[in-house]
Amino acid sequence: MELIYKIFIANGAWQTILNGLWATVQISALSLLFGTLLGALICFFRVGKIKPLKIFAQGYISIIRGAPVLMLLMLLFYGVFARSGLSPITVAVVTFSLHTAAHVAELLRAALMAIDTGQVEAARTLGFSKFQAFKLVTLPQILKIAKPVYQSTVINLIQWTSVVGYVTITDLTRVINNIASRTMQPMITIIGGMIIYLALSYIVQGIFKLTEAKK
Amino acid sequence: MKKIFTIMLIALTAIFTGCGGGENQPTANSNATKIGMLQQLNASEQEFNGFMKDIAETFALNTNPHEVKFFNNLNTMLMALESGQIDEISTYKCVADYLMTKNPNVEILEGHTLEFIDAFCFAVKADNVELKNSLDDAISEMKNDGTLNNLTKEYVTSSVNPAKVEFEKFDGAETLKVAITGDLPPLDFVSEDGSAAGFNTAVLAEIGKRLHRNIEVVQVDSASRSAALTSGQVDVVFWAIVPVSEIIPANADKPDGVELTTPYYRGRIVHIGLKK
Repeated sequence: MELIYKIFIANGAWQTILNGLWATVQISALSLLFGTLLGALICFFRVGKIKPLKIFAQGYISIIRGAPVLMLLMLLFYGVFARSGLSPITVAVVTFSLHTAAHVAELLRAALMAIDTGQVEAARTLGFSKFQAFKLVTLPQILKIAKPVYQSTVINLIQWTSVVGYVTITDLTRVINNIASRTMQPMITIIGGMIIYLALSYIVQGIFKLTEAKK
Repeated sequence: MKKIFTIMLIALTAIFTGCGGGENQPTANSNATKIGMLQQLNASEQEFNGFMKDIAETFALNTNPHEVKFFNNLNTMLMALESGQIDEISTYKCVADYLMTKNPNVEILEGHTLEFIDAFCFAVKADNVELKNSLDDAISEMKNDGTLNNLTKEYVTSSVNPAKVEFEKFDGAETLKVAITGDLPPLDFVSEDGSAAGFNTAVLAEIGKRLHRNIEVVQVDSASRSAALTSGQVDVVFWAIVPVSEIIPANADKPDGVELTTPYYRGRIVHIGLKK
């Protein structure tokens, strides 16, 4: 018990852990926001009728989904943006937004494909405009179908961000590693770190539950 | 289609079994003592296995053959030791002392007749000659006036929880970005409040004072140290060079485009294992 106090609480250690957690949350939340917006756009290109955009979206999705996000992160930080003076957090947000976008685009497309096209046709016959048909018929169904997959994308994203220590960011994983090195008690420290990540994903689940309760 | 798959499958099987029987056999020695080492900047596991073998042969050592396993950081190495994935850890005497005060399960293994001493240097980009020279000058100055000795006493030999390191600020001076990993206490670790601490940092603060430059400490994972240095995200990384001898060539662990300063500290290598 005393050991746990010494590892996680004593001398402001808890504050350092909170700072690390904040970095993780910050990167995850911003990437989720931008990634979802970009993902919707990519999905729009992917299912749209304009050929070049369609090919671009296909290429984008296959490249980003086909390569480990750590490689992309290292490439962007130590290569593409090395001289730009962007902060590491910004580069991480860019990387994870790009990464999330590819996944969101695919999950939205899957949801779109699951919807019966006859419904939109019926709505159009009844005199709805194209936009109205999308907004009133397609969109509510997409949201419902995509939600569980989206939830697991969010949780995955939080865990993917644990590699940002490679680009000089002190996130939760890095703090935990530092503490383990300093205290030389890696097992306990890492279990503690896992519990924090676990709590984080439970919070995400809780938020999704709340949106359900409202309906 | 089925035929093509069958042929490919047969081809693949042939390739894999071929490789398995050939190249991999020498390393797959189950009797070897598995020894954990921190990932080097450039040298590979295979090269180190070669060095270990050569050393054993040259000195006619009557020991169990060693098989080197590289680890990203001290934590994973320690966990591997505790779980029995490896039998020994190769590290520095001061690190071993620190480890033993914090974790009572391990001890230094005696009976190593050979003494290897690693030299601790700074690594800078090869084209940054000016920086290398000024670092060299500062280090030799600190050696001569006894500052390095005092720092060693204060941060390495005597104390397990040394004082916090303060960096002096110089208005308008150029900032020197230095990468630390926080993976090698008491030389390099991160204190409770999240700031860099330890002997390396103390040396750094002293050098900053002498060069009249602001020091910015950047925390980075060991594995991406080279990338950080060569891409210019940092100006200096800490580096322990392996003991150079007739067996281990001087450039064994030195990537191209990197220069090393004169050493500021020497650490004896010891092997540690679990208490029996």
